[in-house]
Amino acid sequence: MFGVLFLKECGQVLKSLVYYIYVAVFVFFVESQLSGEGLAALQEPMPGQSYYGETVTQDKTLIMEGTLVDLVRDLSHNSFATYPLGFYKGVSLTMEEREQAEEILSRCTGKSMDELEEEMTMHFEGDAQSGMDVKMAAAADYGVSVKEGFSYEEFEKAMQEICHLVGRGSFYEKASYENRVYVPMTYEQAKEEFDSICLKDHLTRAYMRLFCDYAGIVLAFLPIFAGVSGALRDKRAKAQQVIYAKPASGALIVASRYLANLVMAALPVIVAAFMVQQPCYERAGAFGIHADMWAFLTVPGVWLLPEIMIVLAAAFLITELTDSIGAVFVQAAWGIASLFGASTLVGDFGLRLVARWNTFGKTMLYESLKGEFLFNRGYYFVLAIVCVLLTVIVYEKKRKYVV
Amino acid sequence: MEMAIEIRNLTKNYGKKRALSDVNLTIEKGMFGLLGPNGAGKTTLMKILTTLVKKTEGEVKVCGVPVENSGKIRNMTGYLPQDFSMYGNMSAYEALDYLAVLSGMNGAERKTKVPQMLEKVNLQEKRKVKVRAMSGGMKRRLGIAQALIHDPKVLIVDEPTAGLDPEERVRFRNLLCETAKDRIVLLSTHIVGDIEATCENIAILNQGEICFHGRVAELLSLVEGKVYSVEVPVTELEK
Repeated sequence: MFGVLFLKECGQVLKSLVYYIYVAVFVFFVESQLSGEGLAALQEPMPGQSYYGETVTQDKTLIMEGTLVDLVRDLSHNSFATYPLGFYKGVSLTMEEREQAEEILSRCTGKSMDELEEEMTMHFEGDAQSGMDVKMAAAADYGVSVKEGFSYEEFEKAMQEICHLVGRGSFYEKASYENRVYVPMTYEQAKEEFDSICLKDHLTRAYMRLFCDYAGIVLAFLPIFAGVSGALRDKRAKAQQVIYAKPASGALIVASRYLANLVMAALPVIVAAFMVQQPCYERAGAFGIHADMWAFLTVPGVWLLPEIMIVLAAAFLITELTDSIGAVFVQAAWGIASLFGASTLVGDFGLRLVARWNTFGKTMLYESLKGEFLFNRGYYFVLAIVCVLLTVIVYEKKRKYVV
Repeated sequence: MEMAIEIRNLTKNYGKKRALSDVNLTIEKGMFGLLGPNGAGKTTLMKILTTLVKKTEGEVKVCGVPVENSGKIRNMTGYLPQDFSMYGNMSAYEALDYLAVLSGMNGAERKTKVPQMLEKVNLQEKRKVKVRAMSGGMKRRLGIAQALIHDPKVLIVDEPTAGLDPEERVRFRNLLCETAKDRIVLLSTHIVGDIEATCENIAILNQGEICFHGRVAELLSLVEGKVYSVEVPVTELEK
């Protein structure tokens, strides 16, 4: 019975205009974002190259120095960028707050604010009229030293005090500054990175992660419309009473509809992933490795499926509860907050709805964050099932209170 | 299993508003008419019988099954709501087949029963017509087909002839009479002509209370000599 109803529900999804808009917007978005540049630019590093790219440093001294450079600059301009709810908010400190921040900075560097500003002015002097390249080189050279004997624990405490003054969502939060300081890669690091893309990720898995990053953005929003449209279908058609009075259980009705919408929402994602993966085979051949042919299923299956599941399930639940399109607004706000709330575009999964990985590769970093990532996806997988169960309960309750 | 609907001291409140007050009724096999003005509580009573609304007090049994046992009740009842409709993008056949699945019928049963029911309600030739393109009469016929598709012991129809033209109305009444031969058919309406033409037993509901329960002939004898007709010219009417 479930199978027949599931197929009929799939047929209904296929007849809906919302579904074709979903497919069109998804394909357009992914196509416009995924240029394939990273894949084309992938080369095996050779000894003696002048540049091998950059990597996030784990070196605590470098993290402290890099963060203090930002702090000197921000304090000097009295302008702090924060993202408290995912959106940009510029913060300027009061005179008293500024003095407190300068005192914290002095504790970290052993120098007064005046001394640090003077050093900065001298460093950039003469570059004002120069071209962009010179300015960038000067910025890269500029450094702020940490006071001798100043520990990382003291630094963490100092940054907490800065966060207290500046407010939530600044670059001085631990999750942010530990992922923001980049250093040039050595040949060994670049080789290790290249080998892990080829041997651990078999090229396609790394490329699929980038695909999932872009697809994940749009999938935080598109399934909302499919879910709301599916859950409001009976009401729109004035078919609620006749369907409520049928012997079929609420679990059968809700589960078949949810699963049909889920499968139909996932289908274009899998097809697009398969198409996007095709150029990888040629590159893999060029490097003499075997691409993982199933990456188009396995990577989006773990990365995107829980996201589609929870977005659809929440849309079903909220719509069933409110009998309105309220889910569109609530969930759009959730998606936006998740998208802009991350401190970095690579990692920082936490419990964010959208898992970002806006890079091709960084396999070793991914491996180190895999536990956090899997916990995130597992959390949404379970939450989606809970939402579907709650929808069944709400559906059954409503069935007995038709007015 | 007994073939009757037993309603004892049924009361339904919506907040402070009382929709049904201490209703007692026994409805046996055949056509039973429930007559009353709009807002009398007919639809509330129908929804309680189809498990769509919970009663506040009293006891209701359909063929011996308490109405609280919603699964069993839904299996043995067919319901045509007042404003029946289905997904506009489905054809008559698709809509009936879909609702047959929700009625728990397997593929083989549906393959035989769906065309049969469409034939019975005279929609076989229109089986490919989309619901959105159907007239009111066609929709009602599709509605009665879906209510009967799983061969229920009880058929509950709410204002089935409202909005139909006279020809469709007569056809619909005949269809109901035909289906009432081997089951209970509860017909709710505010149109006296529907009851007069089809039902032997009736109840009149007014402001949530039963004010008459018996045979049509008894009702007619009660009002004998108290009803009259007068022909008034239009010009006199204005005065």
